[in-house]
Amino acid sequence: MNKKLNTKKLILKLITHLTLIIFTIIAVYPVLQVVTISLRPADRLLSTSLEIIPENATLKSYIELFTNRPFLLWVTNSAFVAFVVTLTGVVFASMAGYAFSRFNFIGKKIGLLSLLVTQMFPATMLLLPLYIMLIYLGLINSYLGIIIIYTATALPFCVWTMKGYYDTIPYSLEEAAKIDGCNQFQAFYKIILPLAAPALVITGLFSFMAAWSEYIVAAQVLQDTQLWTLPLGLKSFEANMTTEWGLYGAASFIVMIPVVILFLVLSRWLVSGLTLGSVKG
Amino acid sequence: MPGGIDLMKITLTYLIGFITILNLTSCRKQEDLSRIVIWHQMRVDEREILEAQLQRYMHLNPDVKVEALYKETEELRSGFIIAAIAGQGPDLVYGPSDQVGPFQVMDIILPLDTLFEKEFLGRFNPKALVYYKGHLYQIGDKLGNHLTLVYNKSIVKTPPQTDIELIELGQKITVDENRDGKPERYGLVWNYTEPFFFIPFLSGFGGWVMDEEGNPTLDTPANVDALNFIKDLRDKYKIVPGEADYNIADVLFKDGKAGMIINGDWSWAGYKKAGIDIGIAPLPKITKTGLWCAPMVSSKGYSINSNVKKEKLPRIIDLLKFLLAPEQQLEVTKKVNTMPTLIELYEDPFIKNDEIMVNSQLQIERGKPMPVVPELRAIWDAMRPSYQAVLGGAKSPAQAAKDMQQLALRKIKEMNE
Amino acid sequence: MKKVYKNIFIAAFIGPTFLVLLAVVFYPFLYNLVISFSNMNLRHIKDWQIIGLTQYIKVFTDPTEPNFYAVFLKTVIWTFVNVFFHVVIGVFLALLLNQQIRGKSIYRTLLILPWAIPQYIVALTWRGMFNYEYGSINLVITKYLSLPAIEWLKSPTEAFIACILTNVWLGFPFMMVVALGALQSIPHELYEAAEIDGANWLHRLRHITIPLIKPVMIPAITLGIVWTFNNLNIIWLVSNGGEPSDQTHILISFVYKAAFNLYRYGYAAALSMVIFIILLFFSLFFMKKTRATESAY
Repeated sequence: MNKKLNTKKLILKLITHLTLIIFTIIAVYPVLQVVTISLRPADRLLSTSLEIIPENATLKSYIELFTNRPFLLWVTNSAFVAFVVTLTGVVFASMAGYAFSRFNFIGKKIGLLSLLVTQMFPATMLLLPLYIMLIYLGLINSYLGIIIIYTATALPFCVWTMKGYYDTIPYSLEEAAKIDGCNQFQAFYKIILPLAAPALVITGLFSFMAAWSEYIVAAQVLQDTQLWTLPLGLKSFEANMTTEWGLYGAASFIVMIPVVILFLVLSRWLVSGLTLGSVKG
Repeated sequence: MPGGIDLMKITLTYLIGFITILNLTSCRKQEDLSRIVIWHQMRVDEREILEAQLQRYMHLNPDVKVEALYKETEELRSGFIIAAIAGQGPDLVYGPSDQVGPFQVMDIILPLDTLFEKEFLGRFNPKALVYYKGHLYQIGDKLGNHLTLVYNKSIVKTPPQTDIELIELGQKITVDENRDGKPERYGLVWNYTEPFFFIPFLSGFGGWVMDEEGNPTLDTPANVDALNFIKDLRDKYKIVPGEADYNIADVLFKDGKAGMIINGDWSWAGYKKAGIDIGIAPLPKITKTGLWCAPMVSSKGYSINSNVKKEKLPRIIDLLKFLLAPEQQLEVTKKVNTMPTLIELYEDPFIKNDEIMVNSQLQIERGKPMPVVPELRAIWDAMRPSYQAVLGGAKSPAQAAKDMQQLALRKIKEMNE
Repeated sequence: MKKVYKNIFIAAFIGPTFLVLLAVVFYPFLYNLVISFSNMNLRHIKDWQIIGLTQYIKVFTDPTEPNFYAVFLKTVIWTFVNVFFHVVIGVFLALLLNQQIRGKSIYRTLLILPWAIPQYIVALTWRGMFNYEYGSINLVITKYLSLPAIEWLKSPTEAFIACILTNVWLGFPFMMVVALGALQSIPHELYEAAEIDGANWLHRLRHITIPLIKPVMIPAITLGIVWTFNNLNIIWLVSNGGEPSDQTHILISFVYKAAFNLYRYGYAAALSMVIFIILLFFSLFFMKKTRATESAY
């Protein structure tokens, strides 16, 4: 009986691993192609062979990137912008989501809906009016402008996710806390917020990505090479029919690393043992 | 109510902190007469030369600060339009001559006739002075941007002179050892997705994209013949691949899997870097018409933003004269093989003796200037689908020519309504 | 709690979010609304005038090729298929990763790579993988599956499928991360209780997992729909701007072409408003069906 159960479990595990491996290969293969591009000599985007390590592989692109290009400046700039956007996004969203989840008030539904509505307008068409507006406010060539814009792009998703997650946390927890002498605010940040860690991770990661990889707005607003963020730097390798694919590939690969590290660090809380263990159903 | 105070305090502190951090980072620059901004779309090797030249200029003129900002061609165009409509943007905008049309119509660049002396302008090749509606709007520092036949010298000994020679040679060097219909090496490759690469065939058969007034002239026997010709290269003579966009064509040539490629002057440096011993030859003559295949030739150069203040103009003109001076032009020519625009430089030994420069100049002479009217955009847009459909086997050349014309007429109407 | 205090609390919590959004969205939206009633284009870029509903009429009646309705249909297919696979693959992988298995964090990390890598270069890499002769996808099809090679980029349907495949690849990690987070809100005790009651895997999925991850997934799906509907990049890069022959366009790439290729700002603004209204009605309907604005408890 026990043995049978064990073999069944073993087979299930095997299938799980196999499926995961297949999906991992699918996920990784195109990324590996980018690495291949970065190692190819003479800026070839494509190749007529399928080798992962190309013929005459060279690390020249990576060396060029760090020695001759202001790559580290772009990384620093982007990291700063992304950090501020993540912080603002998470703080604002965790508060707004909480209010939407816990209270009934006039305009709640419309409020939630209008968050969504902001995402529906084609972004390319917002560029001209946004630019005119930023000129009036004197925010061209400043991070304040793009940080506000990025925060606005990230917030709707973040607020909705936070609200959705708070909804799964029972009211009884706050009531218990209030009986213990907490006020509403203390109940929020001492009891509920730690429990919502997975949602905070999702919104944080999302805000970070929104700022880390945005190009269109940045290209219009940041007109000083000293202020360039990573996507702008990456794009500068691209020219009409003469793109430096080697550098582009190398930079794309390196750009990925901070995101992966961030994810690794955050995933402790994404799948944490907190798991509402204190809730008991 | 301690909770309320707590809450307000935290929110306020956060907000104030937030605003202070950001205020520190925002550096709002004052309108400054000594700061000149250039937006350009130069490729990397050209950019480096520009930067060095600007450094030299600033060294000579310590009171001026020049900043160059790279943007990709299309983004340069839309970005400049947006900025200029909003009353801002760079002082100088550098790009291909065809951006003059829309910019002039939108009234976002200045006429230059009155800003420069006749003698100064007289030193330029007329092809590099971009006039539109009777006024000068752009002065070029590079001439060309033209397609030529690039061949791999280890495969092709003498480049073809006529279409017949092209086909013969193409068939000789196309290799399909296992006869699976997928040759290991092609005779000729080019980009099938952009009609810009089709223009030499069109002009070789005696056609052109538009008449003097800017009306499209695509539904012509010449266009049908030209489309038939490239279709035959693919289906009948089988010397070109079944599918090729810019990157595929490029890598086939770089990997030695194509003997010849039709590509522009921008591509030569990359092929040398890939270790290919390249030769440049003018595109062949079409026997039927006796005409040389004529690529579009355009200049690249500087225009002045119409938002520039009058007081600032003398400084900008001074900078322009520096950038267009013979020393600077020759420096670029020697480093990246582009054709300069000052007539006096054509006697320079570098241009007279270098094999690539000689052939490039020959091709420029045989080329036709690219129209600068905004209608050209609509014509590209109208040609693209049918050109692709012919090479994809979905349309007959006759039908394609007819569809191109109709679509072009409609797009031009939509654009100008 | 006193009413006044409650109201202050709500205002303080929601205020910052709405201030930011208003600052960014309000003026541009109004601007576009005005422009959509105007003749702003190449010839009237600075001196545009209000001309009424003309641009809207053009959106619906102009004989563009393909016409508005065909493109709209394609956009709906594009959106539905993409989001469907994003969610199914994302949730499926999240479920697998939510078990006790070895190497979980390695899988998890590698699986988010499509989200982490810059889209531009990877989209072009995919385009290369779809190449008829040299692409790795045809190689797998012919060598390992013994099927005839597919001309991915030459015919409209295949090119469209190629775009969808690329976008599915790019989009599933995001849904996976959201689903992973959502799964954390389910107490283990619920599963244990269900197991004791003899509920099988499918039962548990239907009656425990799906209802409990719904509050987090629904917002992500709704936004996923809106984003996918308006996703210009992938179509533009993989099909190289609508190739072959403008047959792979979705509505947003039409807007882009009108505004930036042909300088038809008025028309593009009107088309944007139409897109906006379509999405608005669709979301209202979707949220009513799924009751997303209501709390789960």
